[in-house]
Amino acid sequence: MSKIINFKIDGKDVQAKKGETILQVARKNDLYIPTMCYISKTTPCASCRICSVEVEGVDGFILSCNTPPTEGIEVKINSDKLEVERTNIMKLYDVNHPLECGVCDKSGECDLQNMTLEFNVGNQNFSAKDQLRKVEDWGLINYDPALCIMCEKCVHVCNEVIGDDAIDVKFGGYSSVIIPKNSQTLDCTYCGECIAVCPVGALVSSDFKYTANAWELSRVPSTCAHCSAGCSLEYETRHFGINGEDNIYRVKNNFEYNSLCGAGRFGFDFENRAKKDATAFEGALEALKNANAIRFTSIITNEEVLILQKLKEKLGIKLYNEDARLYADFMKAYSSVSGKLHHSASMDAIKQADAVVIIGTRIATDNPMVRYAIRTASQHNGAKVIYAHPLEDALMKNTATQFIKYEVGTEEGVIALLANELLKNADIDEDAKAFLEELDLGYLEAESNVGDDEIKQMSKSFSRTQNHVLVLGSDLFAHARAKNIAKLAALIEKYTNFSLLIVPNEVNTAGVSLICELDVDEETENVVGYNADGDFVLSSLEEADLAMPALNQVEGTIVNVDNKVLPLNVALAFDGYLLNDLAKAFDIDKEYTVEYTSELPSDKGFKNIAFDSLENFYSPHGDDIRGYLLDEVSCVVEAVIEPVADLPEFNGTVVYNCNPVLQFNKFTNKTKQLEKDTVLRGSAQFAAAAKINDGDEIEIISQNRTIKRKFKLDDELKGTVALNPVFDIGQESSLYRFQKSKIVRVI
Amino acid sequence: MKMEAFNDRNVADNGYFLVDIEDYPTDGWGKFKRVVRRSFKGELFVGLWVVLREMIKFDIHTVQYPEEKMPIGPRYRAVHEMKRLWESDAERCIGCGLCEKICISDCIRMDTKIDENSRKEVTEYTINLGRCIFCGYCAEVCPELAITHGGEYEQASEQREHFVDYEYMLTPIDTMKAKAQKEFEGFGAITPHEDERVKKTPLAY
Repeated sequence: MSKIINFKIDGKDVQAKKGETILQVARKNDLYIPTMCYISKTTPCASCRICSVEVEGVDGFILSCNTPPTEGIEVKINSDKLEVERTNIMKLYDVNHPLECGVCDKSGECDLQNMTLEFNVGNQNFSAKDQLRKVEDWGLINYDPALCIMCEKCVHVCNEVIGDDAIDVKFGGYSSVIIPKNSQTLDCTYCGECIAVCPVGALVSSDFKYTANAWELSRVPSTCAHCSAGCSLEYETRHFGINGEDNIYRVKNNFEYNSLCGAGRFGFDFENRAKKDATAFEGALEALKNANAIRFTSIITNEEVLILQKLKEKLGIKLYNEDARLYADFMKAYSSVSGKLHHSASMDAIKQADAVVIIGTRIATDNPMVRYAIRTASQHNGAKVIYAHPLEDALMKNTATQFIKYEVGTEEGVIALLANELLKNADIDEDAKAFLEELDLGYLEAESNVGDDEIKQMSKSFSRTQNHVLVLGSDLFAHARAKNIAKLAALIEKYTNFSLLIVPNEVNTAGVSLICELDVDEETENVVGYNADGDFVLSSLEEADLAMPALNQVEGTIVNVDNKVLPLNVALAFDGYLLNDLAKAFDIDKEYTVEYTSELPSDKGFKNIAFDSLENFYSPHGDDIRGYLLDEVSCVVEAVIEPVADLPEFNGTVVYNCNPVLQFNKFTNKTKQLEKDTVLRGSAQFAAAAKINDGDEIEIISQNRTIKRKFKLDDELKGTVALNPVFDIGQESSLYRFQKSKIVRVI
Repeated sequence: MKMEAFNDRNVADNGYFLVDIEDYPTDGWGKFKRVVRRSFKGELFVGLWVVLREMIKFDIHTVQYPEEKMPIGPRYRAVHEMKRLWESDAERCIGCGLCEKICISDCIRMDTKIDENSRKEVTEYTINLGRCIFCGYCAEVCPELAITHGGEYEQASEQREHFVDYEYMLTPIDTMKAKAQKEFEGFGAITPHEDERVKKTPLAY
């Protein structure tokens, strides 16, 4: 059977691939079919019926959004009959729609406004008895059922892309409404994607509601600065008050082809306002002259990292960034087996995949976009999702087809077991063969608590799948056996049809690890901290000796989990000093920070492209035209895979450093709208082991630090591992995320 | 007077005549003589007498501004006013922001928020009259006939803020209670018989 279907739309010869619908083909060929409920990233809602078309020889209308063409048909997308049909549908949409465009948040960018005008609905001949519909307050989201046109986009996105499955349609003809699913009030991760897709003003951000209009806001296309996904977004700014300076009012995204989590959507006000402080600047120069090292985080642009690297070369100081250093080591070990500098998969690859294995990351909170990609794969391709982690995650429950629980610290053993299973029939080299033969499977299975049957079940579910992705994450970088884990993952990638996605911790961990040479952090004197601890602190947070701009106030680029170099833009002005100003004093002389963009190291895959030539948008057909993809760089294959070390045991009370939904770091902690829940969450078993009760004030004493927290009993958790948020105090990246800790009740 | 008199361009036949102007003196002696002649002729007192005569008669024809003011046309575009609703005395402004957007001299600024009744509330509203060119676009675009121009054209005050305050522009509640609010008839106002032209939504129930 041929895979190309030839047919005609309005007399024009067009071709469809297998599985494409008439609407998709029409759009691809720039033929316009009006729609109201269609959204490209989900399956068709088919609720509006405006996309109806006529097919020669077929009675009645056909929905173009969910009908695939057959060979040789002749489709008509415009006719008098269709025009009448579509106009009537628009009239029905307008029945009793409140005439509050004057105050509605959506006015000016409303699909209903646009389509009503497009079909020139000047009078109304339908009517229905109006009903009292109360505005619902769902926390960050506000729902006005009177404005709702029941297109069902929100429900489809919530279920198919996000995976919260938190809202549903309450069917009832004219009185249909959107309701929280199985709950009195909305219980979800507050990604706000329903707000984005809503074509009218029914679902809006509570914070934004009635504060500004679409036409007053200036749009600044940029990249989200919270996690390694680097999602595209638009900051919308306007003057604040009648004399005030500019503020970010809201964040929007290209919801047609991409998504955004709640941290990006609601956590936009992390800017740092400062004026030029000459004395502090002099102090900073003095501190840099005397410095032994600069300690910094990965929440930084590539250009600034390059400046730091140049400072290192010039002043002979050290650079500390444990997070990026460990990631770099992990990637180096990976490269030494795979022969490539960058991992092979991307979030798009996950969306296309039909089998995903996740190990060593609580992915739903570490990187929500990867979770959305996995959910999309699971809903659209029926992907088998194997989620392996010591802790079950409620957010992954409805997506994961199999949960493999392994013991804390036994990641190396789990990957070895996985490699052993997947490489069974592969044509592997002698070293790898020897390694696999040496494995003591019984010991590994016993210690990691991953049964042979679980691995077999996984293997069996892969029997009909073709596109596989292995996702590794931040539990592994600081693992004692990180390098061997990386090598084993590389082995799987090399010899099976698995592609590999390694999810970095922070927004630009990948970029930092590529651009600068980092030193092992040690306690020295005279450390200048950049958004990190030090004797002199340059920071965009509070308690800075010299104020620095936050990532929504700078131009620059970051490298995201897809190995794409993405541009950030200035949403809000920063009046203080920049890192570049400091560098200028040391004869590292470029007028603007972004002049370094084209100088990023080409031996690491960066291209010689100036910042101003970087695009940042999605094309009308959904092509991602943002920044550029790092070039493939080949490396020398040299490594020998070490035998698996004895698997460690974590007994007693273990604390897992893991942030709640929508929180990532001190910047998200600074924002107004995001919930800041800093309690330690643990199961009843944990409480019993630690001898604490629900609501107790406690101290967590681990290797390096003592943290004060409140304890909260969580029924959804099991075992003796508790979840400790670190967004307010900062992640200790040099340590494995699971820490044996002593819990003391504070009286 | 008929229009023909104006349209008749034939000046020669209508009693027009050339004024006999003596030649300008060319030498110093001639100029001296002219000065002496003009100074002692008493021409000056002709004008002074006209003023004195009118003063004594107390028959004054000019408007005694600022005690007296000329009535201005209903469409005159002076300092803006904010109107209230006849039905409820509530402010008409819904905070849609169209006046702010359309203002070509960028002198309107407003800020809105959601109030406790889930309605849009205007929290701040100013017009910088130093920039305003009184074009009337704001009044024309206003969907609620809330902002209009008024007849207050005097723009002198000790305080600049006197003119840009929302409270200053808003119809005082006493005036409203006395049903004394005047509708603006100029730019942006409802045309007569608007009611008859409005199409209604069918309500079958």
